[in-house]
Amino acid sequence: MKSRTRREFVYLTGAMALAALGPRLAASESKARVVVVGGGIGGATAAKYLAVSAPTIEVTLVEPKPNYTTCFFSNLYLAGLCSLDSLTHGYETLAQRYGINVIHDSVAAVDPVAKTVGLKSGPKLTYDRVVVAPGIAFNYDALAGYDEAATQVIPHAWNAGLQTQLLRRQLESMEDGGVFVLVAPPNPFRCPPAPYERASLVAYYFKQHKPRSRILILDAKDSFNAQDLFLDAWERHYRGMIEWLPAQFTGGIKAIDVKERSVKTASETFKAAVANVIPPQRAGQFAQQNGLVDQSGWCPIDPITFESKLQPGIHVVGDASSAGDMPKSAFVANSQAKACAFAIAAALTGSERQSPHLFNTCYTHLGPDDAVSNAVSFKPVAGTIKIVDNFVSQVQESAETRHRTAREAQSWYAAFMRDTFGYAAF
Amino acid sequence: MRKIIAVSIAAGSFIILADRSQAADRDGGAQLAAMCASCHRLDGGDGGIPTILGMSPEMLARAMLAYRSRERPSHIMRAIALSLSDEEIVIVARYLAALNKQVRP
Ligand SMILES: Cc1cc2nc3c(=O)[nH]c(=O)nc-3n(C[C@H](O)[C@H](O)[C@H](O)COP(=O)(O)OP(=O)(O)OC[C@H]3O[C@@H](n4cnc5c(N)ncnc54)[C@H](O)[C@@H]3O)c2cc1C
Repeated sequence: MKSRTRREFVYLTGAMALAALGPRLAASESKARVVVVGGGIGGATAAKYLAVSAPTIEVTLVEPKPNYTTCFFSNLYLAGLCSLDSLTHGYETLAQRYGINVIHDSVAAVDPVAKTVGLKSGPKLTYDRVVVAPGIAFNYDALAGYDEAATQVIPHAWNAGLQTQLLRRQLESMEDGGVFVLVAPPNPFRCPPAPYERASLVAYYFKQHKPRSRILILDAKDSFNAQDLFLDAWERHYRGMIEWLPAQFTGGIKAIDVKERSVKTASETFKAAVANVIPPQRAGQFAQQNGLVDQSGWCPIDPITFESKLQPGIHVVGDASSAGDMPKSAFVANSQAKACAFAIAAALTGSERQSPHLFNTCYTHLGPDDAVSNAVSFKPVAGTIKIVDNFVSQVQESAETRHRTAREAQSWYAAFMRDTFGYAAF
Repeated sequence: MRKIIAVSIAAGSFIILADRSQAADRDGGAQLAAMCASCHRLDGGDGGIPTILGMSPEMLARAMLAYRSRERPSHIMRAIALSLSDEEIVIVARYLAALNKQVRP
């Protein structure tokens, strides 16, 4: 069944399936086994590209959730511009079309000596290589008064799904004239422009439905990504609605009072009608617990193969990795996953690996019809990854250009989801 | 090299990469095309981002060179085009053009 599915795919699309590699690789006797931990953007992409680049590799993807909801575009959901359903994707195509063995469970631990990963429900899977893509964890210790239980009252909404839904409900039931307080995290964190995109899109929602309401951003930093683009848009679209207070103004965030729904800074305490606290971040718990993390809190990797610098045979992609200049974004996770998959396929099958091409592209919404983008290329240099070129939207762009970028963003989402979770259309 | 490609495109032929085997080109093409798939649907679908299927290798290569020289504006495509060597542009353009023939109509 498995090989038929794969052959079918080659027949139907030829896309990336490397039909031509088949005969050469079919010669090897036993299948190499790769286990992918985490079915988010990094893990799903790695699993798919491993499966299509070498039919002799048996790919198992372990992910506890039956569906994946994207963080990207979740700010549009908060603004009432799309449904959470439209951001939710299943694993059926990866299993059926690409022959990936999808297991809905958590990986408890990896044993690099026995070369097994243990599932939470008990069984152990043997591997030749592991790809780890657990995303982020929150560093609750760094924020007094805020912990896992507090997220049910004051959501972070930095993993998409129930948290995003909770924040949306709170915004819906907020009275007009209330203050939405957003606590922005210190660097590095998942998706540098996203807290400010969130402020923009919540402002859009307020403007439509609660025009007397205001947004206060309490930042752990003194500046932020694409600041000029955001400040310009806030002036044009949401004048007087968004106030941004840097750490140098407040003296920094000191504590969260969950009962009072307030945020204490060194200088003042701010009371919220709705609060959204985005805590400091580090590599996902699985990476922490399996010796993949250094003192930075993230996973050091080889810049070409994404193999861990701490644990041979284990590769780390996506937000959990510490990849030089590469930011923590879905596009980066997808780009890293491809480079990693091709490197593993080459190592396991002896096929040729090209030098990796690493990119980031981010579409950021300032309003429904006003979006900006940036494009960055990266290169492995001297044990790390450096920016080569960086192109960003400009403040003076015309309304048409911005509108076109917003349309392009929609099209990107559709293509990117097909790329990551498979061509469901076939 | 860039001039050679432009000239060979103008002449209606495609530069021959003598030092690489066909299989290596195919592997390389697939790996480079994976990069395109992050934004372009490779199932023939279209949207705000144009499809890259259905173009000849010459048209694709010419478009990439135009993005690289800023003749065609797009900072995303410029970043991609700048990061590819002339040889890689030829390889990916050929791969994508061949891919199109295999896609179900
Ligand atoms: C509001 C917001 C907006 C964003 N907008 C953009 C954007 O416009 N563009 C962009 O490129 N990026 C954007 N991002 C960033 C993007 O969402 C992340 O960078 C991306 O999801 C990282 O992918 P990942 O695979 O590393 O982690 P994730 O996508 O988080 O996947 C991790 C997966 O691992 C699983 N997992 C964890 N532990 C285990 C275990 N022990 N066993 C098995 N599975 C496990 C989890 O269940 C999860 O599914 C945004 C983020 C936010 C919060």
